[in-house]
Amino acid sequence: MGLLDRLSGLLGLKKKEVHVLCLGLDNSGKTTIINKLKPSNAQSQDIVPTIGFSIEKFKSSSLSFTVFDMSGQGRYRNLWEHYYKEGQAIIFVIDSSDKLRMVVAKEELDTLLNHPDIKHRRIPILFFANKMDLRDAVTSVKVSQLLCLENIKDKPWHICASNAIKGEGLQEGVDWLQDQIQGAKT
Amino acid sequence: MAAKSSSDSDSGGAESNETNSKWLDAHYDPMANIHTFSSCLALADLHGDGENKLVVGDLGPGGRNPHLKVLKGPAVLAESPLPSLPAAVATFLMEQHDSRTPALALASGPCVYVYKNLRPYFKFTLPQLPPNPLEQDLWNQAKEDRIDPLTLKEMLEGIREKAEIPLSEQSLRFLQLELSDMEAFVNQNKSKTIKRQTVITTMTTLKKTLADEDAISCLVLGTENKGLLVIDPEAFTVLAEMDIPSVPVFLDASGQFDVEFELAAACRNGNIYILKRDSKHPKYSIELSIQPVGLVRVHKILVVGSTQESLHGFTHKGKRLWTVQMPAAIMTMNLLEQHSRGLQAVMVALANAEVRIYHDKVLLNVIRTPDPVTSLCFGRYGREDNTLIMTTRGGGLIIKILKRTAVFVEGTGEMGPPPAQATKISVPRKTRLYVDQTLREREAGTGMHQTFQTDLYLLRIRAARAYVQALESSLTPLSATSREPLKLHAVVQGLGPTFKLILHLQNTSTTRPALGLLVCFLYNEELYALPRAFFKVPLLVPGLIYPLETFVQSLSNKGTSDIIRVLVLREGQSTPLLSAHISMPVSEGLAAA
Repeated sequence: MGLLDRLSGLLGLKKKEVHVLCLGLDNSGKTTIINKLKPSNAQSQDIVPTIGFSIEKFKSSSLSFTVFDMSGQGRYRNLWEHYYKEGQAIIFVIDSSDKLRMVVAKEELDTLLNHPDIKHRRIPILFFANKMDLRDAVTSVKVSQLLCLENIKDKPWHICASNAIKGEGLQEGVDWLQDQIQGAKT
Repeated sequence: MAAKSSSDSDSGGAESNETNSKWLDAHYDPMANIHTFSSCLALADLHGDGENKLVVGDLGPGGRNPHLKVLKGPAVLAESPLPSLPAAVATFLMEQHDSRTPALALASGPCVYVYKNLRPYFKFTLPQLPPNPLEQDLWNQAKEDRIDPLTLKEMLEGIREKAEIPLSEQSLRFLQLELSDMEAFVNQNKSKTIKRQTVITTMTTLKKTLADEDAISCLVLGTENKGLLVIDPEAFTVLAEMDIPSVPVFLDASGQFDVEFELAAACRNGNIYILKRDSKHPKYSIELSIQPVGLVRVHKILVVGSTQESLHGFTHKGKRLWTVQMPAAIMTMNLLEQHSRGLQAVMVALANAEVRIYHDKVLLNVIRTPDPVTSLCFGRYGREDNTLIMTTRGGGLIIKILKRTAVFVEGTGEMGPPPAQATKISVPRKTRLYVDQTLREREAGTGMHQTFQTDLYLLRIRAARAYVQALESSLTPLSATSREPLKLHAVVQGLGPTFKLILHLQNTSTTRPALGLLVCFLYNEELYALPRAFFKVPLLVPGLIYPLETFVQSLSNKGTSDIIRVLVLREGQSTPLLSAHISMPVSEGLAAA
C-alpha cells in the first residue's frame, strides 16, 4: 500500500469501495437501516416495501459501501443468490418481534450459508436484531440462539440489537463490518 | 479444520432430515386451549396493517365456554365471550368504498354477529317462521284459562308427533317440565306470543358482483329449517332463499351472486345438493349413502370426506370421479391453496394424528402431528403466505410454514399408488373369434352353465367313489377302521444303491394301544433286495410316532426305479389295515455288483 493511497484514505478523498448485500425477510427493516446509514440530507422520509432490489451508497469513516438492498418478499427471495458472488459482506436483518417467522429467517439463512457462492468464502456477516424498541421483541442473544448462529464457525459474524427508526445500534454494526473488511484486506 | 468440517457435516445431517419435510415448525403450543372446528377458523387482515390475523370461534373445553379469539402470531390478541356456541366464522368485505378491511361474521344460534375492526357492528337474526296454527290456538286457550296444563301437554305432544310444522321453543321447553312446574310456566308465558326460530348450521361467503379478491361478498347461511339464505352484505337483507330436502351441514359456494353461482350443500341425510342461481330447489343431487364429514371444492371438483374413512371426488354435476381410502377416520378437511404455484389441494386430518394432502386422488404429503387435528386452515398468516394452522383435540395449536423452496410433486408422498398402476396396458383388439364367442356365451349361457354343472357333479362323484374304494381296500396310509386308527408316513433316505427306508407309524387313537401289528413290503425282487420284508411291529402307544427303519438295496444298474408297497396288517387278518406306495428314487451310485 503506497503512501499516497494511505494519505488519500486518511483525507477521505478516495475510499475503498465495498459491495454489501442487505438480506432479510420482508418487513424486517432492511431499507430503513440502509436509509438511516445514508447521510442525513439524502435520507428519504417514507419507506415503502422494496420491489426487486435497490442500490444505495453510503460512506463510513474509511470505506465506501455500495449496498444491494434486496427485497425480502417471498417471491423476490430467489433473486438473492444472483448477487452472492459480488457481495464482499452480508448484512442480515431480523425482525426480533416476529417470533413466528424466526424459523423462516433461519431457513433462509441456512440456504444462504449452504449456497456454493457463499459456503467456502470467509465472508463477514453482520446480523441486525432489529425492532428492539417493540414490546414483544426478543433479545439479540435469543435471536442468535433461535437462528443457531453458534453453528457458523468458518465465517466472522456479529449480532447487534438495533432500532432502525431511531438509528440505535447501527453504527456499532457498521464499525464492526468496517474492521472485518479492512482486517481481511491487509 | 477437521473439527470444523465435522461440525459442518453434523449440521448438514440435521438439515437433510429437515429438508425431507416441506414444512417449518413455527409454533407448537399443546396448552393453547383452543377447541374448535375448521368452519370456525378464518384468516384475514382485520386491521388493514398487512398482517393477517387468525379468527377462532372457540367452543371452549367441553363446549361450555365459547369465546371469540383473535390471534396474532403465536399469541392471542383479543378475546371476547360469546352468548352461545359458534357454528361458523367467515371474513368478508362488506362495502365497496371501504378502507378494505374485511368484516368478521360469526354465526351462532339464530344470529350472525358482524364485527368491524373487532368491534360489534351488526347483529343479523334469521327471519321468524310462522308457528303452527294448532299450537297457537292451544296457547290462546291457555291464555284464556280454558285449558289446564295437563291437557295442554297432551295436545302439544300430539302436535309434536304428527304435525309437519315443528313446535316452538316455548312449547318444547314446556314439554320438558315436571308436572309441578307446569302451572307456573303456563302462567308466566301464556301471554307471550309464540315464536318459532331456526338456527344456523353453516355459513360461507359468495362474491356478489365481481370475482376479484377484494370484491364484496354475500353471506350464505344454511339453517336447521332445511333452507339456504343469501344475505346482502351492506343492507343485511335476505337476497335469496332456497329450500333443500335436508339440513345442510357443509356449504360451498362458487361464482358470483349477480352473475352465476353454484352452491353445494352437504346434508345430514347423506346427500349433497347442488343449486344454481335460478333454481329455488336443488338442480343435482349426489347420494352418498353415508354421512359426509367435510366438503371442499378444488377447482371444479367437489371433494367429500365420508364417515367410511374415504374421500370421494365428484364433478359439479354429481358424477363420481374417484374414491380414495384413508387409513383412519377423517376428523376434518380444508382447502390448501398455494397461489404462487397455482396449486389447490385438499388437506385431510385423520384420527391417527396425520394430516394428508391430496391433489385429486394423489397423495402429496403427510404431516404427523402429536395429537389428532380437529381443525385446520391454510393461508396467509401474519406476513407469511403459506401457513398451515391446526388445532388439536387436546386444545393445542400448531403453526407450520411451507418452505419457500418446497414443491409438491405428485408421487413423492408416502403410500401413494405405485406408478405401475398408472401405466396403460395395451389391450389387444377384439378379434372376430372373441366377438363370436361372446355372442355365443350370451345366447347359450344357461346351457353352458348346465353342462358345466353336470360335468362338475360327475367329477365329484367319481372322486368320491375312488376315495371310498381306496378306503375299502386300505390303499391309503390312513387307516379307516375305528378300531385301529393308524397313520403311516414313509421317508426314503440316501442316494443309492443302498437306501434307508423309514416308516413313521403312529397310533392316532386317544386311549387304546395297538398290539400285534405286522409290516410287510411288496416289491419287485429283480430290482430291490430287502433284508427283512416282513416284521412285527411293537406295541404302539397312542400319540407317539414310531420310526421303523429298514435298508433297501437296489440291484439294477440300468437307472430304473420301481414302487415298493408297504402293508400294515393285523395278525390273523388277510386284508391290510393300511397300505402305502413308496416310489423309490433312481439309484445314483452304481449297483452293488
